[in-house]
Amino acid sequence: MGIGLSRRYLVVGLVVIAVLFCFPYYAGDFRMNQLGLFLCFVMFALSLDLIWGFTGILSLGNAVYFGGGAYFVAMSLKLKYAATNPARYGSGIPDFMEWNGLTAVPVWMRPLESIWFAAPAGVLAMGLLAFVFGFITFKRHIYGVYCAVITLAESLIFEELIIEKQAYTGGFNGITDYGSYSSNITFYWIILAVTVLFFWFARRLTTSHFGMILQSIRENELRSEFFGFEVANYKIFVFTVAAMMSAISGGLYAALNGIVSHQEIGPLLSVEGVIWVAVGGRGTLIGAFVGPILIKGAESLLSEQFAWLWGLLVGLLFILVIVLMPDGIVGTLLRRARRKRALAAGRQPAYEPAAVGVEETPTA
Amino acid sequence: MAQALFTQFLTGFSIVAILLIISLGLAVIFGVMRVINMAHGDFIMAGAYVAFVMQEYFKLNLFWGIPAAFLVVGLIGMAVEWGLIRQLYGRPLETLLATWGVSIVLQQGIRLLFGPELRYVKAPDVLDGGFQVPGSNLPFAWFRLFIIILALGLLFVTYWLLYRTDFGMHVRAVNQNRPMAEVLGIDTRRVDLFVFAFGSGLAGVAGTILAPIKTVSPIMGFPYAVDSYMVIVLGGVGRLIGTVAGATVIGESETVLAFLYNNVIAKLLVFTLIVMVIRVFPQGLFTMQRR
Repeated sequence: MGIGLSRRYLVVGLVVIAVLFCFPYYAGDFRMNQLGLFLCFVMFALSLDLIWGFTGILSLGNAVYFGGGAYFVAMSLKLKYAATNPARYGSGIPDFMEWNGLTAVPVWMRPLESIWFAAPAGVLAMGLLAFVFGFITFKRHIYGVYCAVITLAESLIFEELIIEKQAYTGGFNGITDYGSYSSNITFYWIILAVTVLFFWFARRLTTSHFGMILQSIRENELRSEFFGFEVANYKIFVFTVAAMMSAISGGLYAALNGIVSHQEIGPLLSVEGVIWVAVGGRGTLIGAFVGPILIKGAESLLSEQFAWLWGLLVGLLFILVIVLMPDGIVGTLLRRARRKRALAAGRQPAYEPAAVGVEETPTA
Repeated sequence: MAQALFTQFLTGFSIVAILLIISLGLAVIFGVMRVINMAHGDFIMAGAYVAFVMQEYFKLNLFWGIPAAFLVVGLIGMAVEWGLIRQLYGRPLETLLATWGVSIVLQQGIRLLFGPELRYVKAPDVLDGGFQVPGSNLPFAWFRLFIIILALGLLFVTYWLLYRTDFGMHVRAVNQNRPMAEVLGIDTRRVDLFVFAFGSGLAGVAGTILAPIKTVSPIMGFPYAVDSYMVIVLGGVGRLIGTVAGATVIGESETVLAFLYNNVIAKLLVFTLIVMVIRVFPQGLFTMQRR
């Protein structure tokens, strides 16, 4: 025991991990880098699944934390790169700073030159931001569509802020050319290890007593409150933890990808993450793995030839999943399996509501 | 400085007017159906493209574009309500996500039809130029005045529809208590359908009057939609005055602050303000007691 998985799942999980571990040996650098990026998206989807799939908070702005972590790491690598290659830009400061008339790295940005400071600082900063934001909204019972809309606006504003402050952020072009860790098999394994760690953590969290309370909040917030749980505190906690997970995945993404731009912080990625979770299956951890791999994988295969068709396809797929398959791919399969098992054992299948985490219009 | 600020303040009212038209539609929809339409920004964009089509292919100016956009986008809205939103009845978050799918489809569809490049729409010749604000030497464009008058007109029409017609009475009844309204024999599905069509149509109208001010592109609508979501959050739902107040506060403070600092700082400040306000009034500034 101790890990909270049945033997069957453990075996499947270990096989998947082994396949992913060996992937670089038979797929080549390009596909390995791609899969590394997908794994970062998987971690991001996992954090979204914790807050949306398990707790029922629909946030359309969590790319802020992903992108925030990414910008901290990218900025750090860029500062370091510029300082160690002074011949490259002439004066040892990042190119975009030079273009915007800065002559030296601003004092408050100096500490970021060390990645060992920048990466944890980014994660903590995003955690703090999420905590403050969660404290403001959840303590006042701002839920459902209000929460979704406010987080969406937050994401849009941060994106515009990044574009606007181009002397410090690289503006519209983002931060590029800082010597990434792509095609580095060790770094790929690090990403894989963090992904596995995240899944283990999410599994422990959601199957614990604490996770049960989160799910009860999702099913009926008011009733959970009447049972005496301080719902807001649970929400703030899980929101903050998810933000820090997003920041870590963002940081790894930045280090691997070698370019970070405003899109990584804006509503587009925020909502895309929600789409991954919805298609994969909200409230199932496996769904957070399946969703991004499936969609991003199909995108990279299809959009090389049919870029124009791809957007349309994603939109339609998303609508169809929401209407016909609210549990997503994994959720639907699991439900079928449970039903089948129950019928085979001669039991009446357990009653299950229409879909996991479907918020009905509150009547209170 | 002071005079420039005042000019900005006056210009702000045309921004408020556009925001008001967008938010009116959204507020009525949200009030009745408890649904946030993520495709609202793309309805705006569709309206702008209707104006473009009227200009390029039918050689008709914006005065024709406005009713055409209302009809076309209203019909699109009707189709979306009938084909999609109705299927998700009582699941507001699912609806929100599904309409995001609609948004993607609309944007890609327009991109396929018209290409990704920017398009331009002219304001009607009659509205070229401007005039001086009486009693001062401040310039003001005719077109901006037209926008303000149009917004007031649409506000009046909405008020009249909601408070002076039988249909409006049904809408308000559904807004206050849907099951009870149903029991009393109101066809709530019909109410939903027409409310959604009306709200979408208003977004289309907003798109046509945005077209000459901004460039027309498949992604033009989103920032306006987000602003109008903020109007709903700030103003609350169920009363028109809330929408008017929300649009005025947000539109004016964004324009004035944008003049004092810049666009993005203005948005950040307004956003912070909104978050502070809803901490005190979680239901928005003006909300009707729901039964």
